Amino acid sequence: MSELKVDKVSPRTGTYVSLNTVGSKNIIINGDMSIAQRGTSTASVTSSGYYACDRWRTGFDTAGTWTISQDTDVPSAQGFQKSTKIDCTTANGSLSAGSLFYIQQIFEGQNLQYLKKGTSSAESLTVSFWVKSVKTGTYICELKDDNNRTISKSYTIDSASTWEKKTITFAGDTTGTIDNDNTAGLEISWWLVAGTTFTSGTLQTSWDSLTNANRAVGQVNLADNTANNFWITGAQLEAGTTASDFEFLPYDVNLDRCLRYYELVGSGLGIFFANGHYYTNTYIRTSYKYRKIMRTAPSLDIASGTSYYRITRNGGTDYFDDLTLSSSADKSGLLINTTDVSGTAGQTGDLRTNTNGYIAFDAEL
Amino acid sequence: MIDTVTKNYLDGEFVSYQVTYVNSNRVKSVPLDEANSDYQAIQEWIQEGNTVIDNGGNN
Repeated sequence: MSELKVDKVSPRTGTYVSLNTVGSKNIIINGDMSIAQRGTSTASVTSSGYYACDRWRTGFDTAGTWTISQDTDVPSAQGFQKSTKIDCTTANGSLSAGSLFYIQQIFEGQNLQYLKKGTSSAESLTVSFWVKSVKTGTYICELKDDNNRTISKSYTIDSASTWEKKTITFAGDTTGTIDNDNTAGLEISWWLVAGTTFTSGTLQTSWDSLTNANRAVGQVNLADNTANNFWITGAQLEAGTTASDFEFLPYDVNLDRCLRYYELVGSGLGIFFANGHYYTNTYIRTSYKYRKIMRTAPSLDIASGTSYYRITRNGGTDYFDDLTLSSSADKSGLLINTTDVSGTAGQTGDLRTNTNGYIAFDAEL
Repeated sequence: MIDTVTKNYLDGEFVSYQVTYVNSNRVKSVPLDEANSDYQAIQEWIQEGNTVIDNGGNN
């Protein structure tokens, strides 16, 4: 048996984080924008949804037209390789009262219980991120929980078209709760455009019930010129009042975290995705086991068009337009086509995407 | 933006929704799961006064 002798035991010094320090201190998933399963660019964005980088959602109403993409413009020598770029392609210099545009992430409540929301020990949250914008001025970052309690803080883009690191700390919320389940518990939003519905009050810099007028007071209108571009990367949200170094994850770990919410199975010519069989002469079935247990039963997200998919069976190929979901749980789903296939009951075959085919599963919040 | 919503049937049983979107060839099959955000969007779309196509499984 070995023996350890010490002269003195001293308190630990320096920066450390007491919560979730191993591999998951960052509540934000894909904060380095390295994963973009849906594709690297979506043009003509005029509605809410998920575009380009995984897990990053756009909230949108009457705020011009945009291209959202995964970009290679990144802050120098920080280790980041990708950013999200938001590019105004049609301006709106005269916003409607209800105009809004923000990018956000939404988090499951069951992953946030350690924040101890609603108790006297509620944890503060600190967000750090790198940002670059053609348009300088005041921008708003907001937290909102599943009980419609919000807190907003402003930050300033000081120099046009220059990468800047921003750090914002939000106080812990000693009121309310976050449901301990797989539904939306908290969201963080970076406002880019806000109409008077969201700017006519006083910025709500402490937790309180949602008042729209107080959510984005002072926010510049990023939609007022087609020259306006906005980039963000290195986003990290963590418990405590200090921003620690960005938590870089291996690509596969980052992808695994994203797969709980969205799984691209395949797109384009000849991508195998499952084996299937003819249940009748005009009816094929196939089951698919998701690579990760998904947040909830996912939707089948598919491109539909003439001969977008094919099943190779009995020495030949049968082309069809799409598939539908006949059952779905968080681990697997059953897909069918009963409209435009032709074979012999009992035949089996391999299913592939054809040119323009796209198949994915979506369990986003 | 949702364009149409149609009920999908299998062996006479309502099993999912089929959703098409404005100016898109993307289609979603949405399970009957209240935690699914597409399902939630369909319920909001219905509450706004829109109508789900229901052919009773006679595709």
